Amino acid sequence: MVFLTLSCWTRNRGPDRYWRVQELLKSARHFRGRKNRCYSLAVRAVRRAFIYASKARKAKRRSMRQLWIQRLAAASREQHMKYPALIHNLLKCSVELNRRVLCDLSITEPRSFQALTALAQARRTEGLRAALGEGAEPPGVFSRITQLQGISQSQRS
Amino acid sequence: MTLNLRNVLLRAAGARLSANTEKRAVLPASRRFQSSSVISPDSYVPQTSLSRPPWPQLPAFDPEEEDRHRAVVQKVNGLIEEGAFGRLFAVVHFASRQWKVTNEDLILIENHIDAACGDRIRMEKVLLVGGRDFTLVGKPLLSRDLVQVHATVIEKTESWPMVHMRFWKRHRFQKKRIIIQPQTVLRINTIDVSPKLF
Repeated sequence: MVFLTLSCWTRNRGPDRYWRVQELLKSARHFRGRKNRCYSLAVRAVRRAFIYASKARKAKRRSMRQLWIQRLAAASREQHMKYPALIHNLLKCSVELNRRVLCDLSITEPRSFQALTALAQARRTEGLRAALGEGAEPPGVFSRITQLQGISQSQRS
Repeated sequence: MTLNLRNVLLRAAGARLSANTEKRAVLPASRRFQSSSVISPDSYVPQTSLSRPPWPQLPAFDPEEEDRHRAVVQKVNGLIEEGAFGRLFAVVHFASRQWKVTNEDLILIENHIDAACGDRIRMEKVLLVGGRDFTLVGKPLLSRDLVQVHATVIEKTESWPMVHMRFWKRHRFQKKRIIIQPQTVLRINTIDVSPKLF
């Protein structure tokens, strides 16, 4: 006797379940406990891991900037200046160095950073003196109230 | 903002801004904070109570100050001509980021550059150059004749596949995307300074 209908009732669910499972477990191999072996637990853990990584990539930029600002505040306080004064006066002198590079300079090039703080300090006292009505220049630092020529003039006038 | 005739009239008349004013361009922060103490001789403005800014006008040329500046500039020019600066470092603006570079440095840039591997590139936007005893700070950039920074494209690859996943709990919302960034590796060959300060 031959049973032919039995084979019609079997289903082929899909040939590649093994490889899909292995692809997910490969991202979970360094986890702790049964999450690195058992599929149901690993699915949840891997999803959380991916989400945390995605969110952290955005937050990294924020926290790096925060770190640079803290370091710049400390470095400028070593030179008897405050961070907002440093940044504002460097911008007024048209020096457009960003916080990351200023932080690197304060660590690896201390004399250059000292020169930049001196420049900011001179611009600050100059602005204060100009506001108070004296026209005298502070001694010892090459700081002129210079302007960007060309594009900025035509934009503003 | 400069106090020229147009601004004075706008303020005095209390005029409303017309509907078709041009879209205000976003200026970088340094330009917003600049004060105009030196008025160029080309723009003539009749003297009123608002024609000049309330802070004192500094002279464009001060002979004592110029003597001091000339001494410093001569000294630095002399150092550059002798070559007594050791290893130079530069701050370069490239690919919308600022990099502090020296010779023989490797830089990894997270985007595609239109240059083949082995091509020599010149980075033109130099913000700062420093040696052993002097630093040249640009306001904001240094001139092209003064500094030359040359680099070579070494490698053009792709980053490792980063997974970007979004998930809201209890809302059956889940999205997964694989991001592969193109990367370029540059090697900084030389930084040259020429004695052209004045």
